[in-house]
Formats: sequence, structure tokens, C-alpha cells
Amino acid sequence: MSIVRKVVKEIEKRKALTAILLMLFMMLFFDTRFYTAYNLLDMLNSAAILEMLAFGVTLVIICGGCDFSIGAMMSLAGIITIKLMDHMPLGPAICAAVACGALVGFINGFLVVKQKTEPFIITLGMGMLLKGIAQQITDAHPVPAKNLSYMKIANGKVLFGIPNLIIIMIVMLLLFYYILRYTPFGRNCYAVGGDYHVATQSGIRAERIKWAAFVICGAMAAFCGVLLSSKLNTGSSIYGDSTALSVNCGCVVGGTSFAGGVGGILQSFIGLLAIQVLENCMNMLGISAYVQKVCEGVIILLILWFDNYAQKRKKEAV
Amino acid sequence: MDRQLSDVILSVEHVSKAFPGVKALDDVSLQVGRGVVHGIVGENGAGKSTLMKILSGVYTKDAGTVVFDGQTIEKTTPMESLRRGLSIIYQEFSLISSMTVGENIFLGRFREAGGMRGTHQKAKELLEQIGSSIHTGSYVSELSTSEKQMVEIAKALSFQSKLIIMDEPSSSLTEEELTKLGDIIRQMRSGGISILYISHKLDEIFEYCDVVTIMRDGHVIDTRPVRELDRREMVGMMVGRTIENEYPERPHFAGEPLMKVEHLTTNKLKDISFTLNRGEILGFVGLVGAGRTEIVRAIYGADKVKRKEIQIEGEAVKIMSPRDGKKCGIAFVPEDRKQQGLVLPFSVESNISMANLKKLKKGMFLSPDKERKMAEEKISELLIKTPSPASVIVNLSGGNQQKCIIGRWLETEPKILIMDEPTRGIDVGAKYEIYMLMKKAVEAGSSIILISSELPEVLNMSNRVLTIADGRITGEFDPEKVSAQEIMNRAIG
Repeated sequence: MSIVRKVVKEIEKRKALTAILLMLFMMLFFDTRFYTAYNLLDMLNSAAILEMLAFGVTLVIICGGCDFSIGAMMSLAGIITIKLMDHMPLGPAICAAVACGALVGFINGFLVVKQKTEPFIITLGMGMLLKGIAQQITDAHPVPAKNLSYMKIANGKVLFGIPNLIIIMIVMLLLFYYILRYTPFGRNCYAVGGDYHVATQSGIRAERIKWAAFVICGAMAAFCGVLLSSKLNTGSSIYGDSTALSVNCGCVVGGTSFAGGVGGILQSFIGLLAIQVLENCMNMLGISAYVQKVCEGVIILLILWFDNYAQKRKKEAV
Repeated sequence: MDRQLSDVILSVEHVSKAFPGVKALDDVSLQVGRGVVHGIVGENGAGKSTLMKILSGVYTKDAGTVVFDGQTIEKTTPMESLRRGLSIIYQEFSLISSMTVGENIFLGRFREAGGMRGTHQKAKELLEQIGSSIHTGSYVSELSTSEKQMVEIAKALSFQSKLIIMDEPSSSLTEEELTKLGDIIRQMRSGGISILYISHKLDEIFEYCDVVTIMRDGHVIDTRPVRELDRREMVGMMVGRTIENEYPERPHFAGEPLMKVEHLTTNKLKDISFTLNRGEILGFVGLVGAGRTEIVRAIYGADKVKRKEIQIEGEAVKIMSPRDGKKCGIAFVPEDRKQQGLVLPFSVESNISMANLKKLKKGMFLSPDKERKMAEEKISELLIKTPSPASVIVNLSGGNQQKCIIGRWLETEPKILIMDEPTRGIDVGAKYEIYMLMKKAVEAGSSIILISSELPEVLNMSNRVLTIADGRITGEFDPEKVSAQEIMNRAIG
């Protein structure tokens, strides 16, 4: 195979990464403050929470599901933490919020896995329910946190001046990467998503695996909610309205397919990063917020279309 | 052949087709006569399905000419082919299961058929023509495999087809349904319709076909009247060597009882009891739907049961799920490779290792090195042909895919290996290799339960045969002493 074809094939395989590199390259020619340590760190910092949401969702998608309740879960978890902090210390409050997330994941998993419902609709419904609860608790007003040390979790810089959020994200990235790649649980996730019946018949506890993925995803969403409310020092029911959509979408853009059984943490990471870089570039270039949305939509559609097209061609060749 | 040109309905001349890396068809020529049942045989990968897809318009040919009914065909689409009078009945039927029989037959042509009433009226006539009494208002999802096939045939007839290509039409039919299919084929032939009959099963070629074309590796080896050929000669041409035996010598190692199944009862099964001895191959014979698969699925814990008592090595065991089954030393190679056996997006090595992840652990994590080693061992042990252990499993041939599944289960070191239709859709050479694997497994001390619709396979491989009809065990035979006829009689019930 000639080098050119090899390169083309590699690009085909890593569309999202190519898109990122292309954008980075293009930014060299514009006189902006894009290439400053401050901007690059800031970009990663604002991507961190979305990325971590994506890690949880990736597990679920690989198992052949999806989770659209994460946005509402995130906003609710922030509110719960702040409200609970009035009555208990910080640690237990955070734990309680994460436990709530796990519980929601457990219910999602019960409905999807045990009752065999459609995950898209179920989790969308769950999202509405959670948002309703969040609005009811707060009366739709933002709730400010009174504890200063809470704010420091997400806004502090403990290591070498790198924001905590980025460090937490990297730790989570490595953790989830190892879980998916090098543990029986991770491998079984791929098998369950790749073919549920085959997995069951091979002695894999498919139900439990998929269920566990939902629980982890819910807990992760709640954890992200804690981080978000810490970052903004406020909890509000209006956060996370479109988050779930863009996170699930980012995973697919990266190459984690809704069909299940393919993809990975790195792919999802890159997929979401692509969206984030695009947003940042457009901000730098002073493109209006509305046009930005349009561009984002177009690019996401293009990537998904190419992806589908490449797969179709591959199938025809077989 | 001294036929006149007008007697030839389809003429394929020097057709070639290449895919990246493979020459699927190389200078293929063949002629199908009007009103002739023309068989095509060949191993998997011989080019049969590629040829078919070129005829139907799914693929375009690289070179050569195709003349159908006096017209040279350059580019075509499946719909155009149909309109010209060339129908293809695929192995996986192309019916829409949520629509009715009548709607399927006249799909997209309701107006031509005269609205809904005309559709059902005409569909009924077509079905009656082939002696089928399927109600045209029933949904296809409710039909059996053989009934679906009838609908496909009726659909082909509705286009006034001059040539019908049938791809492995018998692969999931019972003996009885097969006889019926034979009648329909003969009836269509006498009506002047040509049939291109593609099959692995040589018996059917000898029974139904007038002429047979043998293909191998994208070439036509020979086309001859069936009368002039015998079985061994044909198999020899298919595989490029003479196969002395289709089956290895029957192993004889049966020992003490290994598994006792008692009072196995489900919605479909009625009080099944039997014993499996150590080191024996126990064959299950029965019609499709008699409950053969249900028995093994129930034993393995894949289906719900009302009652079952299982003893393995004298100890009562509870098997509630496939996981329990695996823990008790049972392995299950299911009947539908693609649907139940393989994880299609997985590589060869992941497919082999997936039931054995415990063995790959190094501390908390999986070791990729151990996985590679496990896969390589199985690949050389089972002679799996694959470019590398990391290749995606869909790229392998059917026989090699099946060997991967068998490898997955042999790696669990099972006491009992259940094999449901282990050689379906696999070519002759690979079949023999799978028989040898079975023999080796038995010699190593495992026991095998073998289910197969191919009677000769069960009779030649098993030490003991149970016949099953209507959810009951109806008899037990020693296949060496009893004729196939007798066993079949009991299996029909």
C-alpha cells in the first residue's frame, strides 16, 4: 500500500482527530491569542466537565445504550450538594449527591435492561423528571454556595498551576481507559454491546454489565454536577439543558457508535475535544453565537455522514 | 451440447469480477437452458454468490457478457432484473415481516395488482398454483421458514419469471418440507421455468437437477448432465482433490454416565429424560421445531424451564443461566453462527477469549499477551485460517468462523460440548475438519451432544441417537445397527 493511501486510511479512521489538527493548523494564520498557554488551558478547563460526562456515557453507549438524563442529573446533583452543605460537612454532601446519581442510573438501568425499554426515550423522560425535581427544589432560582472551600475544588490550582479540573479529568481519563481496555468488566461491555445474546450465551452476565454501566454513568454525571456547581459556585436548574445531547453526540463523532460494541474512551475524548476546539476557535475569530451553532451542527452532521459513508463502503467490499 | 440458441435462457460468457485482493470470478462461462433445473455447487468462496449478485445487479461485472432471454445485459438493478423475468430467492429471505403475505408478494405494485383486493386475490391464486394454503392476510412474521419460502416463490412467479435463482433453498427446511419444495421445482420446470439451484447438499443436486456446474476458486471447473456424474467425482471436483471419506471413523470411547437429565419440562418439552455417557457423541434427530434445540438450550440455562433435574458426575446441579451452565462444564455452540455465536465487531482473538477472560487476568487487569497466546494456540490447534489474530471476524469464511466459536468453547475445557448444527453452511473440506475436532474432543474425554438436520452427519458421527418429535423423546437407536429410514420414521412421529 502506498504511503498516500495509508495516510488517507488513517485520516478516515480518525476523522475527529484530523478535524482538530486542521483547526489548530488554521489558527496559526490568524492573529488571535489562540496559541497562548492561558487559552489552551482555559479550553481544556471548560471542556473538562463535558469530557468526564462523556466517559460515563461512553460505557453505556458501548454496552448498546445511551443516556440523555445526564444533563439534568448534573444540574440536580449540584443543587443537592449545595443544599445539603447547610446541614452537613462537604464530603458527605458530595457523596450523597453522587449516590443520588448512582440511584438514577440504577433506575435507568432497571428500566432499560430488566424491562427492556428503549434507552433513548427512557433516559430522555428521566431527564425531564430530574429537571422538574430540580426546579421544584429551587423554585427555578439559582442557589449560591456559602462554603468557600467548596468553590476551591473546581477553581483551585493544586499542581503546578494547572487547574484542578484538568487534573481530575486526566485521572478519570486514565481510570476509564484502563477499565475499558484492561478489565474483564470493560471487555464484557464491548461483548454485551456487540451482541447481547452471544454475550449471555457465553456465560457473561450481560444484564448486570449493562446495568452497572448505567449506574457508573449516573454517578459520573452527578460527580460532574458537583464539579460544575463548584466551578460556578452556584447550583441552578437551568444548567445542562443541551449538555446531554452534545455529550452523546460528541461520543458518536469520536467513533463510539450507537450500535454498540465499538469505540472507546479515547475516541469519545477526542470527539468532544473536537467540538470544544471548534467552539473556542470560533470565539477567537469573533463569530456570532448563532452562526457558531449553525457551524457546529453542520460539522457534526458532516462527520457523522462521512462515518456512515465509509462504513457502508466497507460493508459493500465485504 | 447441441442446443439451439433459443433454448438458452441465460448465457454467461467470460465474466470476471475482482474485489480488492481477491479475484472472485475469473473467466466464468455457463449456459442455462430453458426449462432446465441447473445446479451450481462449490465450496464457500468458490464464487457462487458473487455470480448470483452480478446477475441480479447488486454487483457490476468487470468483464464479460451476460445474455438473458436474448437481451444483452450491461448494467442492471434488482428491480430491472425482476421485470425482465429473473428472480432470486436468497438464503436470508427478503420479505418484510411486519407486512402481510399478499402485500409482500406485490410490494410496490399494489396498483398494478388492482388495489388491495386485487393484491390478495392474485396472491391467493399464485399460492394455490404452488399448492400452498397460506392465508394471504397473515403477517410474514408469523410464518415458518418453509412458508416464507413459498411466499418468495409466489413472488417470483408473480413477475412471470423465466429464471429463478435459489440460493441454498433447503438450508433450514425439514425433510417433509423439502419433498414439497421438490414437487414445486418439478412443477415449475414443466411450466418452462428455468431454475438455478445453488446448494451445498449434493443429495438435492442429484435429486432435482438436470445439469450441474461445479465451481472452485472463482473458476468453472465443469458443467455436465447430472446423470453422468457420481457423488465422489463431484466432491472431488469441488475441493480439487478426492475426499476418501466424508466422515472420519466413528470414535468409540463411551464410558460411565456423565450427565443425567430427568423430567425436563418446558412449555414445549414434555418430560424429557436421558443420560449422556462420558466420551460419547449423542445425536439428536428430529424435524425442525420438534424441540431438539429447546432441549439443549434448557439444559444450558438459556431458556426458562418448568422443571428440570440434572446430575453431572453423580451430583445434582442447578443451572439457572448460561453462566451456571458454563460453570458446570457445559459448552454450547449455537445453531445460528452470525446471530448467536459471534460478536461481529470483535477480532478473532476477542471472540475466542470472551468466555475465558478469567484465564487472562494478571492481577486486576487483563493481559493482552496472554490473550494473544491463547488465540494463537487455538488458531494453530484448530487450523483456523486468518491473516492475524487481530483480524475482524466477519472477514473469515463460515467454516473458520465456526472453528473460532468451537475454539472459544474448547478453551473452557468443557465436560459436555453441545453442538447445534455445527456444519450448517460450511463447505465439505471444513466440515471434515470440524468432524475431526469433534473426534479429538471426545478422545480427550469430553462428551458431545450433536444436533443436525443432516441425517447422514448425525448417523455417521454419533455413538447413540435419540429421536425427538413434538417435544418428546420417541426412541433411542444405535446408528450402526439401524437404517436411516427406520430412524427417520420414528423422528417424524
